[in-house]
Amino acid sequence: MGDGEIFAKLKQSIIDQDQEAVLAAVDEALGAGIDARVIIDDGLLPGLNVIGEQFEREEIFLPELMRAALAFQAAMGILEPIIRESGGTEGPSKGKIVLGTVKGDIHSIGKNILKLLLETSGFEVWDLGADVDLFAFLDKAKDVDADVIALSALLTTTLVGQRDVIEALKEQGARDRYKVIVGGGATTPEWANSIGADGWAGSAYDAVNLVTRLLS
Amino acid sequence: MIDLVEVFERAETGPLLAETDYYMGRYVPVLSDVISRYKIAWDKETIINTDDDLNDRVFQAAVDLLAEAGAYCPETNRVMQFTRDEILRACSQCPTAATFGEGRERKTMYGRRPDTTDDRPWVHIGAGIYTTDEQVYLDTVEKMASFNIVDSLSVPSILHLRGKDARVRSPQELLAACKTVRLAREGIRRSGRVGLPIINGISAASQPASMFAASYPDFGLRPSDGFLIDFLSEMVVGYEALQKVAFYNSISANVGSTSTPLFGGYAGGAEGVAVTATCYMIMGNLIFRGSYHYNAPLHNKLHLSSTKPLLWAIGVSNAAIGRNMRYPIVNLPYLGGGSGTKQYHYEMAAYMLTVVTSGGNIFSGHPAMSVQPDSIVPDDHKFHAEMGLAAAKLTRAEAEPIAQKIYPLFGDKLKDPDKGLTFQQVYDPRTKRIVNEEYVRVMDEVRTELAAMGFVVPAT
Repeated sequence: MGDGEIFAKLKQSIIDQDQEAVLAAVDEALGAGIDARVIIDDGLLPGLNVIGEQFEREEIFLPELMRAALAFQAAMGILEPIIRESGGTEGPSKGKIVLGTVKGDIHSIGKNILKLLLETSGFEVWDLGADVDLFAFLDKAKDVDADVIALSALLTTTLVGQRDVIEALKEQGARDRYKVIVGGGATTPEWANSIGADGWAGSAYDAVNLVTRLLS
Repeated sequence: MIDLVEVFERAETGPLLAETDYYMGRYVPVLSDVISRYKIAWDKETIINTDDDLNDRVFQAAVDLLAEAGAYCPETNRVMQFTRDEILRACSQCPTAATFGEGRERKTMYGRRPDTTDDRPWVHIGAGIYTTDEQVYLDTVEKMASFNIVDSLSVPSILHLRGKDARVRSPQELLAACKTVRLAREGIRRSGRVGLPIINGISAASQPASMFAASYPDFGLRPSDGFLIDFLSEMVVGYEALQKVAFYNSISANVGSTSTPLFGGYAGGAEGVAVTATCYMIMGNLIFRGSYHYNAPLHNKLHLSSTKPLLWAIGVSNAAIGRNMRYPIVNLPYLGGGSGTKQYHYEMAAYMLTVVTSGGNIFSGHPAMSVQPDSIVPDDHKFHAEMGLAAAKLTRAEAEPIAQKIYPLFGDKLKDPDKGLTFQQVYDPRTKRIVNEEYVRVMDEVRTELAAMGFVVPAT
């Protein structure tokens, strides 16, 4: 079997969200002497791109997205140690994102979708969960030297938590260190402007494009 | 029906599971399985389903979903499990009517069956939309309460104190919640209908403490109003919700179980939303001891409920419950179009034709995805209630072709909806009369267009 067929198999198994098939294809690719980094770039990521497009077109939904991401993560569990052993790095990530739903808001589905889309688009993501303390955002962003802080809020009553994080960054003299983006059901572009956010996204898919644009 | 304390115990005794494992190991595969098992499929065209065998299969699928996946309690990380017998017994003992209000405004909301054309559905109007000014708040509530076709209100929220927004969970939020209730009751009193029930208690409260505080009778709410308790999507039953269940059942108040299954989220597409929405109503009765249900399926990205697959799913869930439980349902619409726009009216016409013929009661809608402050324009809500009353005279088979004619008028606009008006842009602040002639012209035009399509909506 040629490399092209193996790459097609890697891509298709991700599109099929079939973890067993993904792992078998990775095994086959390694057996054929294909570099682990190339397996990711030319096999797995093209599959994830298709998954992202299908999700955007509403041909698949969150469960399918999660299954594809889990299959990808399982493959990375094999490939990352190989890349490290060979003295390489996993390759430069597209950026470091600290993500969470702000204090007082316990909604998480939109944020979870964004996490999956960011990860499968090549970003490193630290998901702090829901109802996140203001300082947890600040501390984690500092710890990991984040590029972007992404703040989600679903409710009108919890929007203020997004402003709190931006104000706290200003008070600590750290506002210029990070891009801050906001999103979630109750947010609007006007709200994002009013609190001095660097961007607003109306959907998880838009948020990935926004982050990509901000970091380009 | 198993008793309430036993329900609470299930959150402590069920299998221990991480949240992701619950979703990927239980809810998602079981949902997928019951959809296949009961051959539930949307044909991608129908808006109002008339196939009652399908509606009954959706009900069975919802029972199986709860029996096999359970609900998830995040505080204990345990699955709340119920047997099929316990679920079916609760369904058979479900309330089919709920009485709200005081004095001459005291009335009963009934669970309806699909294609009932000889009853008058409950008329609920309003929205919990944010309001920037106390006077606008009072005027909005007074105006809505003054419409004599209205049986109950959803009142807006007002979150600021002394010119500042109250922070969530702060003491100011608690005071703002109390203020909301006092203003709402005062607005209703000014309309001359002091006993009119508020059934979205309590829109400004994000936490149980604020909700309980604002329920203090001196502020104006009574057990005969309605208090909303939310499921957190999907299938999550949190302790805050159970605390509210414990309290409002202890004072024998009307509980409105509330759910927002997300299209595109864990529930997947139209079929998954239909089954999950139906399951929530079963859970609302069994776990929350609800008197009525707020059914609010929503699009995960667009944050509205008027897409074609969602309309289908919402109609199916109403019919599934109407045929098998008769739990009183009001359906909470979120629309893309802003207040006073043709788009908003078209969306509401399609929504009313769907839910009212399928067995739901009438609830006017949230314009502009509910994010534009001061966007409750009461005469919109009266118009939409009139649409609901007109829809109640139709069967699903009669309503479907009309809904199909209306849908193209707004379907392509849902991703970039028309902006609308605010209360202040429509009414004279002194007389409370409509001063925006364009607003009236648009509404009249829509009424004429709907009549030409076979949907006659008489003005009341």
